[in-house]
Amino acid sequence: MDRSGPSDDAAAVRQGISSQCGRAVHAAWHDLSLTKVLVTFNAGRPNEYRALDSVDLRVGRGEFYCLLGPSGCGKSTILNLVAGFIQPSGGRVQIGDRAIKEPGTDRVVVFQDVANALFPWLRTDENVAFGLILQGMPKPQALQRARDMLGVVGLREHAQKFPYELSGGMKQRCQIARALVLEPEVLLMDEPFAALDAISKRILQQELLRLWERYRMTVIYITHDVSESILLAQRIGVMRRGPGSSVKEEFAVGLPYPRRPSDGAFSALYARVENSLQEEVGVSLHEH
Amino acid sequence: MSIELRGIVHQVLIASVSIAIAVVAWAGFAMYFAVPDLVPSPSATAAAAAAMIENGALFWHVVVSLERVLVGYATGCIVGIVIGALMGRIRIFGLFASPLLQLLRPISPVALVPLSIIWFGIGDMSRYFIIFYGVVIIMIMNTAAGVSSTPNIRLNAARCLGAKPQQLFRRVIIPSAVPYILTGMRVALGFAFMGIVAAEMIAAQSGIGYLIMQSRTLLRTDVMFVGLVTLGVLGAIIDGCFKIAIDRTMKRFMEYQVNV
Repeated sequence: MDRSGPSDDAAAVRQGISSQCGRAVHAAWHDLSLTKVLVTFNAGRPNEYRALDSVDLRVGRGEFYCLLGPSGCGKSTILNLVAGFIQPSGGRVQIGDRAIKEPGTDRVVVFQDVANALFPWLRTDENVAFGLILQGMPKPQALQRARDMLGVVGLREHAQKFPYELSGGMKQRCQIARALVLEPEVLLMDEPFAALDAISKRILQQELLRLWERYRMTVIYITHDVSESILLAQRIGVMRRGPGSSVKEEFAVGLPYPRRPSDGAFSALYARVENSLQEEVGVSLHEH
Repeated sequence: MSIELRGIVHQVLIASVSIAIAVVAWAGFAMYFAVPDLVPSPSATAAAAAAMIENGALFWHVVVSLERVLVGYATGCIVGIVIGALMGRIRIFGLFASPLLQLLRPISPVALVPLSIIWFGIGDMSRYFIIFYGVVIIMIMNTAAGVSSTPNIRLNAARCLGAKPQQLFRRVIIPSAVPYILTGMRVALGFAFMGIVAAEMIAAQSGIGYLIMQSRTLLRTDVMFVGLVTLGVLGAIIDGCFKIAIDRTMKRFMEYQVNV
């Protein structure tokens, strides 16, 4: 279980999140857009597979956007496109009016597989300082910044530990700190809390909202958990099942934070989103 | 007494008992079953060793052999790591080099002794080559495996933290390969010691391997046993030092392997 929650008063956090009117999104940041995006793997070979077909997606700067869909529907492919790990076979992936061609520190990914995502030979603070040092920041200064950021995510006392000495939830906090210390425009999260126990998961979801409120980066969050998407996102995109997947339907959540699954509006939306998702899962179940 | 110290005492105790049992068994066998000239008793071996230690001969043989092992081992490690890293990183090079490596692997260092004499003569160069050969093959294979097995997620994580290809290599791929390289170095150390006798078959005038070969012609099995025991003890001590050195300096690269 994750016991490393920061000492912030929960009420203050809630108040912070609900005071959304005065939100300050960085002026120089851009919207993200995917236009008629096509992704074909192994093109021209017998195992050719069309993962995405005419995906149109627009995420505003500072927006919290959830991608929801049945497994294997290409959610991670969209994330890989935005991260710059892969290139589209057709269409455009842009941040502002600049095409995304390669990975960059303006779009940092938080992976589900923490065991491999963190550098196991580096201490927690060295992991967080990694990106800063690559940018040429002197090591002592980078480590200081890293420790400050570890304080923000509630890992101050664990700065000297190696990743294998941390719990699953703490590893994920470390990974988030490593991303945020670079002040990215976009945080890309690929089912980051799916492998955690229920309690750690709930704590980290609240933490993530607090950090989002504080830094106001754009978040693209992948999940297959309907409840999680409504808890976190401003907008939810439900994806069609593959092959040739795309965003089928979008839901604007429009509920004030913090959200409670017991609220009427929450469960009403849950039913609609769940229904939309079930159509896709149902179809794929039929075919198998 | 700290837990660590207690662990060491424990290990030493077990090792001593196990060696003592073996020596007693050896003494019994030599005394009751074997022809004395063919199997010298532990006491005869010890007497021969004492004489050789006294006149400095054993020390001299050890120094000479260690120098040969060290030169062959060090060059083998360096060249093996470089070639292995290139094979792991440059796809086309790896593809074309690995079948050749599979062909070389079954050829033992001993099989290369005649060729090595023709190529390098009967001097030390030949002996370095024999040991080098045994080491370099293992180091290439282990390094290549380590370098190419860096998890993709780790590479992607580093790339979105801003790592350029060169930084990726130095800061992610090489550290990820360290456990493989160190394991290879430890295995190769054993091979270097196994190679020394083959290497000193080549017209050597000194060294443990020479000592062993020479005692065959003189039918001095007691001296031969001194040579064999020395080889074993030396190898075990150096391997132990190597392991301690890894634990002290490379802990952060090895620890997680056990704990993941």
